[in-house]
Amino acid sequence: MIEVVLADGAVSSYIPVMLLLTMAVTFGAFNVIASRLIGPRRDGGTKGQTYESGMAPIGTARKRFNVRFYLIAMVFLVFDIEIIFLYPWATTFPNLDPGSTNAQVWLFRILFFMATTVVAYIYGLRKGVFRFD
Amino acid sequence: MDAPSFLTAQLIVNIVVILIVVHLLLGLAGYSTYGERKISAYIQDRIGPNRVGFDLGLPFLKFLRGLLGLGQPLADGLKFMLKEDYMPRGADKALFTLAPMVVAIPALIGFAVIPWGGTLSLPETITIPLLNWTIPGGDVVIAGANISVGIIYLLAVGSMAIYGITLAGWASNNKYAFLGALRASAQMISYEIPMGLCILTVLLMVGSLLPEKIIGYQVAHGWLVLAHPVAAVVFFICILAESNRTPFDNAECEQELVAGFHTEYSSMRYALFPLSEYIHMAVGSAFFTLLFLGGYHLPLGFIADQHLLHPENTSILAVLVKFGVFLGKAVGGVLTMMLVRWTIPRLKFDQVMQVGWQGLIPISLVVVVMTAVMVFYEKTTWPWMLAANALLTLVLLGLLPILPRATSNKKVRLAGSRFYPLEGERVRTAPTSAAAIEDRPSQGTVAV
Repeated sequence: MIEVVLADGAVSSYIPVMLLLTMAVTFGAFNVIASRLIGPRRDGGTKGQTYESGMAPIGTARKRFNVRFYLIAMVFLVFDIEIIFLYPWATTFPNLDPGSTNAQVWLFRILFFMATTVVAYIYGLRKGVFRFD
Repeated sequence: MDAPSFLTAQLIVNIVVILIVVHLLLGLAGYSTYGERKISAYIQDRIGPNRVGFDLGLPFLKFLRGLLGLGQPLADGLKFMLKEDYMPRGADKALFTLAPMVVAIPALIGFAVIPWGGTLSLPETITIPLLNWTIPGGDVVIAGANISVGIIYLLAVGSMAIYGITLAGWASNNKYAFLGALRASAQMISYEIPMGLCILTVLLMVGSLLPEKIIGYQVAHGWLVLAHPVAAVVFFICILAESNRTPFDNAECEQELVAGFHTEYSSMRYALFPLSEYIHMAVGSAFFTLLFLGGYHLPLGFIADQHLLHPENTSILAVLVKFGVFLGKAVGGVLTMMLVRWTIPRLKFDQVMQVGWQGLIPISLVVVVMTAVMVFYEKTTWPWMLAANALLTLVLLGLLPILPRATSNKKVRLAGSRFYPLEGERVRTAPTSAAAIEDRPSQGTVAV
Protein backbone atom coordinates (compact mmCIF):
# COMPACT_ATOMS: atom_id res chain seq x y z
CA MET A 1 0.00 0.00 0.00
CA ILE A 2 1.28 3.44 -0.86
CA GLU A 3 2.14 5.73 2.02
CA VAL A 4 -0.09 8.75 1.80
CA VAL A 5 1.09 12.16 2.83
CA LEU A 6 -1.83 13.52 4.80
CA ALA A 7 -2.83 17.08 4.18
CA ASP A 8 -3.04 18.74 7.54
CA GLY A 9 -5.84 21.12 6.66
CA ALA A 10 -3.71 24.07 7.65
CA VAL A 11 -4.30 27.41 6.01
CA SER A 12 -0.77 27.34 4.61
CA SER A 13 -1.74 24.44 2.34
CA TYR A 14 -3.98 26.90 0.48
CA ILE A 15 -1.07 29.17 -0.51
CA PRO A 16 -0.67 27.39 -3.88
CA VAL A 17 -4.39 27.79 -4.55
CA MET A 18 -4.07 31.52 -3.94
CA LEU A 19 -1.09 31.65 -6.30
CA LEU A 20 -3.02 29.77 -8.94
CA LEU A 21 -6.00 32.06 -8.51
CA THR A 22 -3.77 35.09 -8.97
CA MET A 23 -2.29 33.58 -12.12
CA ALA A 24 -5.74 32.78 -13.52
CA VAL A 25 -7.08 36.26 -12.80
CA THR A 26 -4.00 37.82 -14.38
CA PHE A 27 -4.36 35.62 -17.44
CA GLY A 28 -8.01 36.53 -17.91
CA ALA A 29 -7.51 40.23 -17.29
CA PHE A 30 -4.42 40.38 -19.52
CA ASN A 31 -6.19 38.79 -22.47
CA VAL A 32 -9.25 40.99 -22.20
CA ILE A 33 -7.26 44.21 -21.74
CA ALA A 34 -4.60 43.39 -24.33
CA SER A 35 -7.06 42.71 -27.12
CA ARG A 36 -8.88 45.91 -26.18
CA LEU A 37 -5.64 47.86 -26.55
CA ILE A 38 -4.27 46.13 -29.65
CA GLY A 39 -7.42 45.60 -31.70
CA PRO A 40 -9.06 48.23 -33.90
CA ARG A 41 -12.05 50.20 -32.64
CA ARG A 42 -14.59 51.43 -35.13
CA ASP A 43 -18.10 52.19 -34.05
CA GLY A 44 -21.02 52.58 -36.39
CA GLY A 45 -24.75 53.09 -36.45
CA THR A 46 -26.22 49.67 -37.03
CA LYS A 47 -23.08 47.92 -35.82
CA GLY A 48 -24.13 48.43 -32.24
CA GLN A 49 -27.33 46.49 -32.69
CA THR A 50 -27.54 43.04 -31.22
CA TYR A 51 -27.75 40.19 -33.70
CA GLU A 52 -31.24 39.03 -34.49
CA SER A 53 -30.80 37.20 -37.76
CA GLY A 54 -30.34 40.43 -39.65
CA MET A 55 -33.62 42.01 -38.58
CA ALA A 56 -33.81 45.16 -36.53
CA PRO A 57 -33.91 43.95 -32.94
CA ILE A 58 -37.32 44.16 -31.28
CA GLY A 59 -37.25 45.43 -27.74
CA THR A 60 -34.80 44.31 -25.13
CA ALA A 61 -33.66 40.80 -24.26
CA ARG A 62 -34.32 41.22 -20.56
CA LYS A 63 -37.69 39.57 -20.71
CA ARG A 64 -39.64 37.16 -18.64
CA PHE A 65 -38.77 33.57 -19.40
CA ASN A 66 -40.23 30.12 -18.99
CA VAL A 67 -40.96 29.24 -15.37
CA ARG A 68 -39.61 25.73 -15.92
CA PHE A 69 -36.07 26.98 -15.50
CA TYR A 70 -37.03 28.24 -12.06
CA LEU A 71 -38.57 24.89 -11.14
CA ILE A 72 -35.45 23.06 -12.25
CA ALA A 73 -33.36 25.37 -10.07
CA MET A 74 -35.58 24.63 -7.07
CA VAL A 75 -35.36 20.86 -7.53
CA PHE A 76 -31.63 21.17 -8.09
CA LEU A 77 -31.28 22.82 -4.69
CA VAL A 78 -33.05 19.90 -3.02
CA PHE A 79 -30.77 17.36 -4.64
CA ASP A 80 -27.56 19.33 -4.32
CA ILE A 81 -28.04 19.81 -0.61
CA GLU A 82 -28.85 16.14 -0.25
CA ILE A 83 -25.57 15.25 -1.95
CA ILE A 84 -23.61 17.67 0.22
CA PHE A 85 -25.03 15.92 3.27
CA LEU A 86 -24.11 12.56 1.80
CA TYR A 87 -20.41 13.42 1.37
CA PRO A 88 -19.39 13.28 5.05
CA TRP A 89 -21.39 10.09 5.42
CA ALA A 90 -19.72 8.52 2.38
CA THR A 91 -16.23 9.24 3.64
CA THR A 92 -16.99 7.86 7.14
CA PHE A 93 -19.23 4.89 6.40
CA PRO A 94 -16.61 2.58 4.80
CA ASN A 95 -14.30 3.18 7.76
CA LEU A 96 -16.84 1.69 10.17
CA ASP A 97 -16.83 -2.00 11.02
CA PRO A 98 -18.77 -3.63 8.16
CA GLY A 99 -21.81 -5.52 9.40
CA SER A 100 -21.70 -4.06 12.91
CA THR A 101 -24.75 -2.58 14.62
CA ASN A 102 -23.20 0.86 14.35
CA ALA A 103 -22.81 0.52 10.58
CA GLN A 104 -26.37 -0.77 10.35
CA VAL A 105 -27.69 2.33 12.09
CA TRP A 106 -25.63 4.57 9.77
CA LEU A 107 -26.85 2.74 6.69
CA PHE A 108 -30.55 2.79 7.53
CA ARG A 109 -30.56 6.39 8.67
CA ILE A 110 -29.02 7.53 5.42
CA LEU A 111 -31.36 5.32 3.40
CA PHE A 112 -34.28 6.98 5.18
CA PHE A 113 -32.76 10.37 4.37
CA MET A 114 -32.46 9.39 0.71
CA ALA A 115 -36.03 8.11 0.73
CA THR A 116 -37.29 11.57 1.72
CA THR A 117 -35.58 12.98 -1.36
CA VAL A 118 -37.04 10.24 -3.51
CA VAL A 119 -40.49 11.37 -2.32
CA ALA A 120 -39.65 14.89 -3.47
CA TYR A 121 -38.39 13.49 -6.77
CA ILE A 122 -41.59 11.51 -7.39
CA TYR A 123 -43.66 14.58 -6.54
CA GLY A 124 -41.69 16.61 -9.06
CA LEU A 125 -42.00 13.89 -11.66
CA ARG A 126 -45.78 13.72 -11.18
CA LYS A 127 -46.07 17.49 -11.39
CA GLY A 128 -44.14 17.44 -14.67
CA VAL A 129 -41.16 19.49 -13.48
CA PHE A 130 -38.74 17.39 -15.52
CA ARG A 131 -40.71 17.65 -18.74
CA PHE A 132 -39.40 20.29 -21.08
CA ASP A 133 -41.49 19.72 -24.16
CA MET B 1 19.61 32.34 8.22
CA ASP B 2 16.34 30.57 8.90
CA ALA B 3 13.73 29.84 6.30
CA PRO B 4 10.23 31.27 6.85
CA SER B 5 8.12 28.76 8.73
CA PHE B 6 5.49 28.30 6.02
CA LEU B 7 8.13 27.32 3.45
CA THR B 8 8.14 23.55 3.16
CA ALA B 9 9.28 21.17 0.48
CA GLN B 10 5.61 20.48 -0.24
CA LEU B 11 4.94 24.14 -0.98
CA ILE B 12 7.89 24.40 -3.35
CA VAL B 13 6.82 21.26 -5.19
CA ASN B 14 3.24 22.60 -5.37
CA ILE B 15 4.41 25.82 -6.97
CA VAL B 16 6.63 24.02 -9.47
CA VAL B 17 3.76 21.70 -10.42
CA ILE B 18 1.38 24.65 -10.82
CA LEU B 19 3.80 26.52 -13.06
CA ILE B 20 4.31 23.45 -15.24
CA VAL B 21 0.71 22.29 -15.42
CA VAL B 22 -0.86 25.70 -16.11
CA HIS B 23 1.31 26.15 -19.17
CA LEU B 24 0.83 22.54 -20.18
CA LEU B 25 -2.95 22.93 -19.95
CA LEU B 26 -2.97 26.16 -21.95
CA GLY B 27 -0.83 24.54 -24.62
CA LEU B 28 -3.02 21.47 -24.56
CA ALA B 29 -6.13 23.62 -24.95
CA GLY B 30 -4.58 25.39 -27.92
CA TYR B 31 -3.61 22.15 -29.59
CA SER B 32 -7.00 20.63 -28.75
CA THR B 33 -8.50 23.01 -31.30
CA TYR B 34 -5.96 21.71 -33.80
CA GLY B 35 -6.66 18.10 -32.83
CA GLU B 36 -10.39 18.65 -33.04
CA ARG B 37 -10.08 20.05 -36.56
CA LYS B 38 -7.77 17.25 -37.66
CA ILE B 39 -10.04 14.56 -36.21
CA SER B 40 -13.14 16.05 -37.78
CA ALA B 41 -11.24 16.30 -41.04
CA TYR B 42 -10.30 12.63 -40.99
CA ILE B 43 -13.84 11.63 -40.07
CA GLN B 44 -15.26 13.72 -42.92
CA ASP B 45 -12.56 12.64 -45.40
CA ARG B 46 -10.86 16.03 -45.59
CA ILE B 47 -7.28 17.06 -44.82
CA GLY B 48 -7.78 19.70 -42.17
CA PRO B 49 -5.30 22.46 -41.28
CA ASN B 50 -2.04 21.78 -43.09
CA ARG B 51 -0.63 25.13 -44.16
CA VAL B 52 0.43 27.22 -41.19
CA GLY B 53 3.92 26.45 -39.94
CA PHE B 54 6.21 28.53 -37.79
CA ASP B 55 7.94 30.54 -40.53
CA LEU B 56 6.08 33.77 -39.64
CA GLY B 57 6.31 34.77 -43.29
CA LEU B 58 10.07 35.26 -43.09
CA PRO B 59 12.13 33.90 -46.03
CA PHE B 60 15.03 32.62 -43.92
CA LEU B 61 12.64 30.51 -41.81
CA LYS B 62 11.33 28.75 -44.90
CA PHE B 63 12.21 25.32 -43.55
CA LEU B 64 9.56 25.80 -40.81
CA ARG B 65 6.75 26.23 -43.33
CA GLY B 66 3.97 23.65 -43.48
CA LEU B 67 4.70 21.16 -40.70
CA LEU B 68 1.20 19.59 -40.84
CA GLY B 69 -0.34 22.93 -39.94
CA LEU B 70 1.01 22.81 -36.41
CA GLY B 71 1.28 26.60 -36.29
CA GLN B 72 -2.48 26.98 -36.65
CA PRO B 73 -3.36 27.42 -32.94
CA LEU B 74 -0.67 30.07 -32.58
CA ALA B 75 -1.96 31.94 -35.62
CA ASP B 76 -5.54 31.67 -34.33
CA GLY B 77 -4.52 33.05 -30.97
CA LEU B 78 -2.72 36.00 -32.55
CA LYS B 79 -5.69 36.66 -34.80
CA PHE B 80 -8.04 36.75 -31.82
CA MET B 81 -5.75 39.27 -30.19
CA LEU B 82 -5.79 41.57 -33.24
CA LYS B 83 -9.52 41.53 -33.85
CA GLU B 84 -11.87 44.25 -32.71
CA ASP B 85 -13.25 43.76 -29.23
CA TYR B 86 -16.81 44.93 -29.71
CA MET B 87 -19.62 45.38 -27.24
CA PRO B 88 -23.18 45.90 -28.52
CA ARG B 89 -25.26 48.82 -27.32
CA GLY B 90 -27.45 48.04 -24.36
CA ALA B 91 -25.06 45.43 -23.01
CA ASP B 92 -24.16 45.58 -19.35
CA LYS B 93 -20.58 46.83 -19.61
CA ALA B 94 -19.16 45.46 -16.37
CA LEU B 95 -20.80 42.04 -16.56
CA PHE B 96 -20.06 41.69 -20.27
CA THR B 97 -16.34 42.11 -19.55
CA LEU B 98 -16.41 40.05 -16.40
CA ALA B 99 -18.23 37.02 -17.83
CA PRO B 100 -15.40 35.50 -19.93
CA MET B 101 -13.04 35.85 -17.01
CA VAL B 102 -15.53 34.19 -14.66
CA VAL B 103 -15.63 31.28 -17.11
CA ALA B 104 -11.87 31.07 -17.60
CA ILE B 105 -10.73 31.38 -13.99
CA PRO B 106 -12.48 28.28 -12.54
CA ALA B 107 -11.38 26.28 -15.57
CA LEU B 108 -7.77 27.24 -14.90
CA ILE B 109 -7.72 26.62 -11.16
CA GLY B 110 -9.66 23.35 -11.18
CA PHE B 111 -6.73 21.00 -11.70
CA ALA B 112 -4.94 22.03 -8.49
CA VAL B 113 -5.78 18.96 -6.42
CA ILE B 114 -5.10 16.34 -9.09
CA PRO B 115 -2.06 14.28 -7.99
CA TRP B 116 -0.31 14.05 -11.35
CA GLY B 117 2.73 12.15 -10.21
CA GLY B 118 1.86 10.50 -6.92
CA THR B 119 4.34 10.75 -4.08
CA LEU B 120 7.94 11.91 -4.39
CA SER B 121 10.56 10.99 -1.81
CA LEU B 122 12.93 13.80 -0.96
CA PRO B 123 15.86 13.72 1.46
CA GLU B 124 15.03 14.53 5.10
CA THR B 125 16.52 18.01 4.94
CA ILE B 126 16.98 20.12 1.87
CA THR B 127 19.31 23.09 1.60
CA ILE B 128 18.32 25.76 -0.82
CA PRO B 129 21.38 27.07 -2.66
CA LEU B 130 22.24 30.79 -2.57
CA LEU B 131 19.89 31.56 0.35
CA ASN B 132 21.39 28.80 2.49
CA TRP B 133 18.03 27.91 3.98
CA THR B 134 17.42 24.43 5.33
CA ILE B 135 13.89 23.14 5.09
CA PRO B 136 12.41 19.78 6.08
CA GLY B 137 11.96 17.33 3.20
CA GLY B 138 10.39 13.90 3.32
CA ASP B 139 7.53 12.61 1.18
CA VAL B 140 5.65 15.18 -0.87
CA VAL B 141 2.65 14.89 -3.17
CA ILE B 142 3.09 15.96 -6.79
CA ALA B 143 -0.06 18.08 -6.99
CA GLY B 144 -0.90 21.72 -7.45
CA ALA B 145 -2.18 21.98 -3.90
CA ASN B 146 -2.18 19.37 -1.16
CA ILE B 147 -5.42 20.40 0.54
CA SER B 148 -7.54 18.22 2.77
CA VAL B 149 -10.89 18.77 1.02
CA GLY B 150 -9.54 17.23 -2.20
CA ILE B 151 -12.40 16.11 -4.39
CA ILE B 152 -14.84 18.67 -2.97
CA TYR B 153 -12.56 21.45 -4.23
CA LEU B 154 -12.77 20.05 -7.75
CA LEU B 155 -16.55 19.83 -7.55
CA ALA B 156 -16.92 23.32 -6.14
CA VAL B 157 -14.63 24.97 -8.65
CA GLY B 158 -15.98 22.97 -11.57
CA SER B 159 -19.51 24.22 -11.06
CA MET B 160 -18.53 27.89 -10.93
CA ALA B 161 -18.34 28.21 -14.72
CA ILE B 162 -22.16 28.32 -14.77
CA TYR B 163 -22.03 31.84 -13.34
CA GLY B 164 -19.87 33.06 -16.19
CA ILE B 165 -22.08 31.53 -18.85
CA THR B 166 -25.28 32.90 -17.30
CA LEU B 167 -23.70 36.33 -16.92
CA ALA B 168 -22.48 36.28 -20.52
CA GLY B 169 -25.94 35.53 -21.82
CA TRP B 170 -27.63 38.05 -19.58
CA ALA B 171 -25.18 40.89 -20.21
CA SER B 172 -25.24 40.56 -24.01
CA ASN B 173 -28.77 41.95 -24.33
CA ASN B 174 -29.35 39.45 -27.10
CA LYS B 175 -32.30 37.08 -27.12
CA TYR B 176 -30.35 34.17 -28.56
CA ALA B 177 -27.60 34.65 -26.00
CA PHE B 178 -30.12 34.85 -23.19
CA LEU B 179 -31.88 31.65 -24.23
CA GLY B 180 -28.54 29.89 -24.65
CA ALA B 181 -27.44 30.96 -21.19
CA LEU B 182 -30.69 29.76 -19.64
CA ARG B 183 -30.38 26.41 -21.33
CA ALA B 184 -26.73 26.08 -20.36
CA SER B 185 -27.37 26.84 -16.71
CA ALA B 186 -30.35 24.47 -16.54
CA GLN B 187 -28.35 21.72 -18.20
CA MET B 188 -25.22 22.20 -16.13
CA ILE B 189 -26.99 22.23 -12.76
CA SER B 190 -29.00 19.18 -13.82
CA TYR B 191 -25.93 17.13 -14.71
CA GLU B 192 -24.08 18.17 -11.59
CA ILE B 193 -26.34 15.93 -9.50
CA PRO B 194 -25.55 12.58 -11.18
CA MET B 195 -21.91 13.68 -11.29
CA GLY B 196 -21.87 14.21 -7.53
CA LEU B 197 -23.62 10.89 -6.96
CA CYS B 198 -21.07 9.04 -9.11
CA ILE B 199 -18.25 10.55 -7.06
CA LEU B 200 -20.11 9.34 -3.95
CA THR B 201 -19.91 5.75 -5.17
CA VAL B 202 -16.13 6.10 -5.42
CA LEU B 203 -15.89 7.72 -1.99
CA LEU B 204 -17.96 4.89 -0.52
CA MET B 205 -15.36 2.41 -1.71
CA VAL B 206 -12.31 4.45 -0.72
CA GLY B 207 -13.51 6.21 2.43
CA SER B 208 -11.42 9.32 1.90
CA LEU B 209 -11.62 12.61 0.03
CA LEU B 210 -7.90 12.73 -0.72
CA PRO B 211 -7.12 12.14 -4.40
CA GLU B 212 -3.88 10.38 -3.43
CA LYS B 213 -5.83 7.84 -1.39
CA ILE B 214 -8.28 7.23 -4.22
CA ILE B 215 -5.40 6.33 -6.53
CA GLY B 216 -3.74 4.30 -3.76
CA TYR B 217 -6.95 2.29 -3.37
CA GLN B 218 -7.04 1.60 -7.09
CA VAL B 219 -3.39 0.52 -7.11
CA ALA B 220 -4.16 -1.97 -4.35
CA HIS B 221 -7.63 -3.19 -5.39
CA GLY B 222 -7.83 -2.70 -9.15
CA TRP B 223 -9.21 0.21 -11.16
CA LEU B 224 -12.61 1.44 -10.08
CA VAL B 225 -13.94 1.31 -13.62
CA LEU B 226 -14.08 -2.46 -13.07
CA ALA B 227 -15.98 -2.09 -9.80
CA HIS B 228 -18.24 0.72 -11.03
CA PRO B 229 -18.79 0.48 -14.78
CA VAL B 230 -22.27 2.03 -14.59
CA ALA B 231 -21.07 4.97 -12.50
CA ALA B 232 -18.11 5.45 -14.83
CA VAL B 233 -20.33 5.70 -17.89
CA VAL B 234 -22.74 8.08 -16.15
CA PHE B 235 -19.80 10.19 -14.97
CA PHE B 236 -18.35 10.43 -18.47
CA ILE B 237 -21.73 11.55 -19.85
CA CYS B 238 -21.88 14.17 -17.10
CA ILE B 239 -18.44 15.53 -18.01
CA LEU B 240 -19.63 15.94 -21.59
CA ALA B 241 -22.71 17.80 -20.39
CA GLU B 242 -20.78 19.93 -17.90
CA SER B 243 -18.32 21.15 -20.51
CA ASN B 244 -21.19 21.81 -22.96
CA ARG B 245 -19.88 19.33 -25.49
CA THR B 246 -21.85 17.57 -28.18
CA PRO B 247 -24.23 15.73 -27.80
CA PHE B 248 -25.13 18.22 -25.06
CA ASP B 249 -24.15 21.52 -26.67
CA ASN B 250 -27.66 22.96 -26.70
CA ALA B 251 -26.34 26.16 -25.21
CA GLU B 252 -24.67 27.01 -28.49
CA CYS B 253 -26.49 25.03 -31.12
CA GLU B 254 -26.14 26.88 -34.39
CA GLN B 255 -29.45 25.92 -35.95
CA GLU B 256 -31.56 27.34 -33.15
CA LEU B 257 -29.54 29.89 -31.22
CA VAL B 258 -26.85 31.20 -33.62
CA ALA B 259 -23.91 30.80 -31.21
CA GLY B 260 -25.77 30.74 -27.90
CA PHE B 261 -24.41 32.66 -24.97
CA HIS B 262 -21.37 34.00 -26.83
CA THR B 263 -23.22 35.33 -29.86
CA GLU B 264 -22.23 38.93 -29.17
CA TYR B 265 -18.64 38.22 -28.16
CA SER B 266 -15.64 38.85 -30.35
CA SER B 267 -11.87 38.98 -30.12
CA MET B 268 -10.09 37.62 -27.03
CA ARG B 269 -13.20 37.93 -24.90
CA TYR B 270 -14.76 35.34 -27.17
CA ALA B 271 -11.62 33.21 -27.28
CA LEU B 272 -11.73 32.69 -23.53
CA PHE B 273 -14.98 30.70 -23.90
CA PRO B 274 -13.71 27.92 -26.21
CA LEU B 275 -10.37 27.99 -24.40
CA SER B 276 -12.01 27.29 -21.07
CA GLU B 277 -14.22 24.68 -22.71
CA TYR B 278 -11.13 22.78 -23.80
CA ILE B 279 -9.44 23.20 -20.41
CA HIS B 280 -12.67 22.02 -18.81
CA MET B 281 -12.55 18.92 -21.01
CA ALA B 282 -8.93 18.22 -20.09
CA VAL B 283 -9.52 18.70 -16.36
CA GLY B 284 -12.75 16.70 -16.57
CA SER B 285 -11.03 13.74 -18.18
CA ALA B 286 -8.15 14.02 -15.70
CA PHE B 287 -10.83 13.85 -13.00
CA PHE B 288 -12.31 10.79 -14.70
CA THR B 289 -8.85 9.22 -14.87
CA LEU B 290 -8.32 9.94 -11.19
CA LEU B 291 -11.62 8.41 -10.10
CA PHE B 292 -12.04 5.46 -12.42
CA LEU B 293 -8.92 4.78 -14.48
CA GLY B 294 -6.40 4.43 -11.69
CA GLY B 295 -4.67 7.78 -12.13
CA TYR B 296 -0.96 7.28 -12.80
CA HIS B 297 -1.19 3.52 -12.27
CA LEU B 298 -0.20 1.14 -15.04
CA PRO B 299 -1.73 -2.32 -14.60
CA LEU B 300 1.58 -4.17 -14.80
CA GLY B 301 1.57 -6.54 -11.85
CA PHE B 302 4.64 -8.47 -12.90
CA ILE B 303 7.34 -5.81 -12.62
CA ALA B 304 9.82 -5.75 -9.77
CA ASP B 305 9.55 -3.44 -6.78
CA GLN B 306 12.27 -1.02 -7.72
CA HIS B 307 11.42 -0.89 -11.42
CA LEU B 308 10.75 2.53 -12.92
CA LEU B 309 7.15 1.64 -13.72
CA HIS B 310 6.29 0.26 -10.31
CA PRO B 311 3.63 2.37 -8.52
CA GLU B 312 5.56 2.40 -5.25
CA ASN B 313 8.74 3.70 -6.79
CA THR B 314 8.97 7.33 -5.64
CA SER B 315 12.18 8.48 -7.29
CA ILE B 316 12.11 11.59 -9.43
CA LEU B 317 12.29 9.62 -12.69
CA ALA B 318 9.43 7.35 -11.66
CA VAL B 319 7.38 10.43 -10.79
CA LEU B 320 7.98 11.85 -14.26
CA VAL B 321 6.85 8.55 -15.78
CA LYS B 322 3.70 8.62 -13.63
CA PHE B 323 3.05 12.19 -14.73
CA GLY B 324 3.31 11.08 -18.34
CA VAL B 325 0.96 8.15 -17.78
CA PHE B 326 -1.63 10.35 -16.05
CA LEU B 327 -1.44 12.96 -18.77
CA GLY B 328 -1.63 10.31 -21.47
CA LYS B 329 -4.82 8.90 -19.99
CA ALA B 330 -6.32 12.38 -19.68
CA VAL B 331 -5.46 13.22 -23.30
CA GLY B 332 -6.99 9.91 -24.33
CA GLY B 333 -10.19 11.01 -22.61
CA VAL B 334 -10.16 14.33 -24.47
CA LEU B 335 -9.67 12.54 -27.80
CA THR B 336 -12.62 10.26 -26.95
CA MET B 337 -14.76 13.32 -26.33
CA MET B 338 -13.75 14.68 -29.73
CA LEU B 339 -14.67 11.39 -31.40
CA VAL B 340 -18.03 11.54 -29.60
CA ARG B 341 -18.57 15.06 -30.89
CA TRP B 342 -18.06 14.12 -34.51
CA THR B 343 -20.03 10.87 -34.24
CA ILE B 344 -23.18 11.49 -32.24
CA PRO B 345 -25.75 14.11 -33.24
CA ARG B 346 -26.99 16.66 -30.73
CA LEU B 347 -29.94 15.89 -28.46
CA LYS B 348 -32.94 18.16 -28.34
CA PHE B 349 -33.12 20.26 -25.20
CA ASP B 350 -36.14 18.46 -23.75
CA GLN B 351 -34.33 15.19 -24.40
CA VAL B 352 -31.25 16.49 -22.58
CA MET B 353 -33.33 17.29 -19.51
CA GLN B 354 -35.13 13.97 -19.81
CA VAL B 355 -31.87 12.01 -19.94
CA GLY B 356 -30.56 13.92 -16.95
CA TRP B 357 -33.54 13.95 -14.63
CA GLN B 358 -35.36 10.78 -15.58
CA GLY B 359 -32.37 8.68 -16.58
CA LEU B 360 -29.05 9.49 -14.98
CA ILE B 361 -30.24 10.75 -11.59
CA PRO B 362 -32.36 7.68 -10.69
CA ILE B 363 -29.65 5.35 -12.03
CA SER B 364 -26.87 6.99 -10.04
CA LEU B 365 -29.04 7.11 -6.89
CA VAL B 366 -29.65 3.37 -7.20
CA VAL B 367 -25.93 2.78 -7.76
CA VAL B 368 -25.12 4.73 -4.57
CA VAL B 369 -27.59 2.67 -2.54
CA MET B 370 -26.22 -0.53 -4.05
CA THR B 371 -22.66 0.48 -3.20
CA ALA B 372 -23.63 1.32 0.36
CA VAL B 373 -25.25 -2.10 0.79
CA MET B 374 -22.22 -3.86 -0.74
CA VAL B 375 -19.90 -1.94 1.58
CA PHE B 376 -22.09 -2.96 4.53
CA TYR B 377 -21.76 -6.62 3.61
CA GLU B 378 -18.04 -6.15 2.89
CA LYS B 379 -18.27 -7.35 -0.71
CA THR B 380 -16.27 -4.56 -2.29
CA THR B 381 -13.80 -6.52 -4.41
CA TRP B 382 -14.27 -5.79 -8.07
CA PRO B 383 -15.74 -9.15 -9.17
CA TRP B 384 -18.52 -8.73 -6.59
CA MET B 385 -19.13 -5.13 -7.60
CA LEU B 386 -19.10 -6.07 -11.28
CA ALA B 387 -21.69 -8.77 -10.64
CA ALA B 388 -23.81 -6.32 -8.65
CA ASN B 389 -23.57 -3.78 -11.47
CA ALA B 390 -24.60 -6.39 -14.03
CA LEU B 391 -27.56 -7.41 -11.87
CA LEU B 392 -28.54 -3.77 -11.42
CA THR B 393 -28.39 -3.16 -15.16
CA LEU B 394 -30.57 -6.19 -15.84
CA VAL B 395 -33.13 -5.11 -13.21
CA LEU B 396 -33.23 -1.57 -14.60
CA LEU B 397 -33.65 -2.85 -18.15
CA GLY B 398 -36.44 -5.12 -16.94
CA LEU B 399 -38.17 -2.26 -15.16
CA LEU B 400 -37.86 0.08 -18.15
CA PRO B 401 -41.16 -0.85 -19.86
CA ILE B 402 -43.26 -0.22 -16.73
CA LEU B 403 -41.63 3.06 -15.66
CA PRO B 404 -43.58 6.28 -16.27
CA ARG B 405 -42.65 7.86 -19.53
CA ALA B 406 -42.63 11.41 -20.67
CA THR B 407 -45.17 11.95 -23.40
CA SER B 408 -43.04 14.16 -25.60
CA ASN B 409 -42.86 13.82 -29.36
CA LYS B 410 -46.36 12.46 -29.65
CA LYS B 411 -47.38 12.51 -33.26
CA VAL B 412 -50.11 15.08 -33.78
CA ARG B 413 -52.71 13.82 -36.17
CA LEU B 414 -53.40 16.11 -39.03
CA ALA B 415 -57.04 15.47 -39.76
CA GLY B 416 -57.81 15.29 -43.44
CA SER B 417 -54.27 14.46 -44.51
CA ARG B 418 -53.53 11.35 -46.51
CA PHE B 419 -52.39 9.52 -43.38
CA TYR B 420 -55.44 10.43 -41.26
CA PRO B 421 -58.28 10.88 -43.73
CA LEU B 422 -61.63 12.18 -42.60
CA GLU B 423 -64.38 9.69 -42.02
CA GLY B 424 -65.89 8.40 -45.20
CA GLU B 425 -63.11 9.86 -47.30
CA ARG B 426 -61.15 7.58 -49.59
CA VAL B 427 -57.55 8.34 -50.24
CA ARG B 428 -55.63 7.24 -53.28
CA THR B 429 -51.94 7.17 -52.57
CA ALA B 430 -50.81 6.14 -56.06
CA PRO B 431 -49.48 9.06 -58.11
CA THR B 432 -52.00 10.60 -60.47
CA SER B 433 -49.98 13.27 -62.18
CA ALA B 434 -48.70 12.33 -65.61
CA ALA B 435 -45.30 13.80 -64.90
CA ALA B 436 -44.90 11.74 -61.75
CA ILE B 437 -45.90 8.55 -63.50
CA GLU B 438 -43.52 9.23 -66.32
CA ASP B 439 -40.76 9.95 -63.83
CA ARG B 440 -41.08 6.64 -62.00
CA PRO B 441 -42.93 4.31 -64.35
CA SER B 442 -42.10 1.16 -62.43
CA GLN B 443 -43.93 2.37 -59.33
CA GLY B 444 -46.73 4.30 -60.91
CA THR B 445 -50.09 2.67 -61.34
CA VAL B 446 -52.48 3.73 -63.99
CA ALA B 447 -54.77 6.48 -62.85
CA VAL B 448 -58.45 5.81 -62.96
